Amino acid sequence: MSIWHWNLRITSRRNHCGFWRKGSLCGLLLILIGLLTLTTGCQVNQQAFERIAGDAGAAFSAASTTLNYFHHGQITNLYARASFEEYQQELGGLDRQLPLQQGVPDKHTIEQLLVVYKQAMQVIDHPCLDTLCNWHIQLASLDRASQAFLKAGGQ
Amino acid sequence: MKKWFSITLGIVTATGGFLDAGTIATAGESGAKFGLGLIWAVVLATIEIILLVEMVGRFTAVSKKTYADAIREDFGFKFYLFPLLSEIIAESLLLAAELGGIAIALSLFTGISWHIWFPVAALLVLVMSWRAPFDWIENGPALFGLLTLSFVIAVVALGGPSHDTLVTLWNPDVKQGDLADYLYLVAATLGATISPYLLYFYSSGAREEGWSGSSLVLNRVTAFLGMGFGSVGSMALIVLGAIVLRPLNMNANTLGEIGLAMAKPFGIIGSLLFASVLFVTCLGAALEVVLAVSYNIAQGFGWEWGENKQPVKAARFNLTIIIFLLVAVVIRLIGLDPLHLALLASTVIALFLPISLFPFLVLMNDPQYLGNKVNGRLSNLAVILILLIAFVVALVSLPLEVLTGGG
Repeated sequence: MSIWHWNLRITSRRNHCGFWRKGSLCGLLLILIGLLTLTTGCQVNQQAFERIAGDAGAAFSAASTTLNYFHHGQITNLYARASFEEYQQELGGLDRQLPLQQGVPDKHTIEQLLVVYKQAMQVIDHPCLDTLCNWHIQLASLDRASQAFLKAGGQ
Repeated sequence: MKKWFSITLGIVTATGGFLDAGTIATAGESGAKFGLGLIWAVVLATIEIILLVEMVGRFTAVSKKTYADAIREDFGFKFYLFPLLSEIIAESLLLAAELGGIAIALSLFTGISWHIWFPVAALLVLVMSWRAPFDWIENGPALFGLLTLSFVIAVVALGGPSHDTLVTLWNPDVKQGDLADYLYLVAATLGATISPYLLYFYSSGAREEGWSGSSLVLNRVTAFLGMGFGSVGSMALIVLGAIVLRPLNMNANTLGEIGLAMAKPFGIIGSLLFASVLFVTCLGAALEVVLAVSYNIAQGFGWEWGENKQPVKAARFNLTIIIFLLVAVVIRLIGLDPLHLALLASTVIALFLPISLFPFLVLMNDPQYLGNKVNGRLSNLAVILILLIAFVVALVSLPLEVLTGGG
């Protein structure tokens, strides 16, 4: 039996104190890693505003693609309907959330974003999934919102 | 002949059962956000799960004991509670995500809100876990799960990745400020693939099927080929995300939009294929998770257990199934959507991996259980190294994601 096997085995049955001593050393190491994470967090992560805006831009782009695919016969009406419900949940309430985030830009930029947001949300809430409505206008509104939010998100 | 049939079935079910809500969510989002920049994490996770599945099968076949039995026996009941607790926390999150995956798949077929389908999904899993024989649960969803190979066909149909996309394989496009997101997805990818529930389920399954020393070939082939082929589906989904979703600036933040990557080459059939894959893989995984945790608790506490036994003969085992499903339903009420829940669950699993699996490694080196079939030094080192990578990455990325409202 190799030393490696012996070491692992001894941990299991015969030296529980050693195991716990090593455990407390590991605990200390974990706390250090945790502190390092928190202190360096701002360098590896986006500001909350940028992140939320970027995600919203991506979600509007997904909604635009879904609408486009539906009208080109690539997905069913039911698939599109279910997808828009998911977008609704992802994007709903952003107008209240966005101005409160860390890293928020000036008031004018926020107001402009919210105007685009509200127009696009009307499409998200009532997507044109039949032939009676003008889906091209809706598509343009979603694309506009996508670009504006992606830009605000720094993408 | 029967032996070869078992081996083929083992490979097929392992291949088909590889994906679940966690792997679909992480693969879709990885491809959309970072191109092919997380394929390495899938490769690393696949190596780890191949090693672990082979080990747990070998352990059960040789020692005739389940993994949970052995932990309690070797380390004592108090120590056994650590891996059990970490397992319950992580897997209850994962079960909620799997139920959400089933619900969203049904929603994509019917257009009816997934919130309505969620309790139906829980009921479906309850009925199947109570009434279906073990063979059905193990093989049924996994056989249908072979539909995941359609992801590979879609990649071929789209002409494969362009040169620009291919570059992200060794030079991931991680923009300034995206590192935490990248690390979070690395942890989620590792946690989604290296799920300890799979080991409890596999170990208990091997006992239910009466594995012995003669099953070692079947075990090895299933682990290496089944898991190896299974990871191809996961990688194909990353490639699809990179080819279709990334150029459109989509983040794959919802499960439905991941399916759009299949609609591009195959139209309606493609999107419905995706919904079918989502349904069967999440159903299979939900059954495995709920049974694995129930097996773990029943074996650890010394209760009567067995999927093939009538519920009345293993009453506490079956009661655990109900309670665990109820916990998952309650978690859903917190309000996280299934995709984000799947990512969170996978990262939490990665964080708990050392607690879940270090005792297992100790057992795998104990000749009292395994005789001359104990682990080699190389496999010990490989498993420990990958576990530590998963743990450290999860530890670093999880607080950052939570603090910034991501994940």
